[in-house]
Amino acid sequence: MRQFRRKFRANSSGQLLIVAALMIAILISSTTIYVYELSRETNNVDSYPVSDVILAVKQSSKNTMISSLANISKGGEKATLEVNLNNLSHVLGNLHQLGMYNLCFTVVNDSRYDSGVCLSWNTSGSGVSSTCANFTLNVQGIAANIAVNYTVNATTSVTINGSYTRLEGEEKLVNLTCQVLNEEEPALFKNITLYYENYGSWIQVNSSNNLSIVDYGNGTYLLSFTVSLSSDVPVSTHVYDLRDVFVQANTTCIEG
Amino acid sequence: MKSKNGGQIRIIEAFLAVLIVFSSFAISANLTVTQTTRNHDNLASIGLQTLVQLDSDGSLGKYIDDEDWSTLRNSINLVLPAGTAFNLTVYNGQMQQINTEVVSNGGFSSQDITFVEYVCASQGSNFHCYVIHLYLGVAA
Repeated sequence: MRQFRRKFRANSSGQLLIVAALMIAILISSTTIYVYELSRETNNVDSYPVSDVILAVKQSSKNTMISSLANISKGGEKATLEVNLNNLSHVLGNLHQLGMYNLCFTVVNDSRYDSGVCLSWNTSGSGVSSTCANFTLNVQGIAANIAVNYTVNATTSVTINGSYTRLEGEEKLVNLTCQVLNEEEPALFKNITLYYENYGSWIQVNSSNNLSIVDYGNGTYLLSFTVSLSSDVPVSTHVYDLRDVFVQANTTCIEG
Repeated sequence: MKSKNGGQIRIIEAFLAVLIVFSSFAISANLTVTQTTRNHDNLASIGLQTLVQLDSDGSLGKYIDDEDWSTLRNSINLVLPAGTAFNLTVYNGQMQQINTEVVSNGGFSSQDITFVEYVCASQGSNFHCYVIHLYLGVAA
């Protein structure tokens, strides 16, 4: 019996080797396939989707709106917006990497916007420069046809409020808080110029008025200057944001 | 005679076992090659996202407006993953090449090159629209 067992063990050790090798091979293959399937799922999400292209076109639309706003807010014609958007649409129409692009747009016309442009620089302490348009992007690709509607709004707004305290005689110290926003988010200005009104003419505030500017880093600035005036102090702020968009706001500072 | 044959059979069985194990490695290697092709698509996506990222604050258009090719090269190099080679060409709306210098960070190690096309609108008050062709590959 022992001899038979020994003989059987000796004879079948080769087959056991092959069975073990087969099991190892199956283990390696299944592990590799599992890892591959996992990575394939991730790749399917990341591989150059049309959504990336739509994001890129939206970005270009936004930049065009900002460029047009910068031009119009500095005295350019309102028609500039449509001209620039037509230009963008034409250039996009010539691209064919993922299919054919067709970008249509409609500038907003309502109580606030005229030809997609709103320049509201009033005397109540706030000023808004804004452009707004609705877009439809059609991508006719090999895999699919996609149509996307979106709205782009580029807005720079500034809000000022302040008061003055009397120093000596008619000299007054004016403290003004100024807040700059881009699309309702805090933004920084590139340049600011302050004016005060004296007998009907606007005079620029400069170093002779002890002008000081404190930047809080969150789009809020504290502006202080001295001025000799007998009445309340009408103030005008002219702001260029980092995108070179101009916006103006006027207010009258009263004694605080 | 019988024991001699038994030895030869063992050797054949051992060879078979080795063959089975190595064939599994060969199959795995083929799967990895397929995955490399998919990574190729990823590179295109990364390239497009790089341009969108640089364009989000208007930097991309500003560098082109200013013809500041070295800063543009450095910016793209910074945003792209390490080991990625690129070559960028900028055209105007009439598809005339604008960049007077080569905007690239070196040669490609293989012929497996990805192409990305992007429209860049500058944010400056004088509107310009550019077409960017970005070629991406593995750095040499």
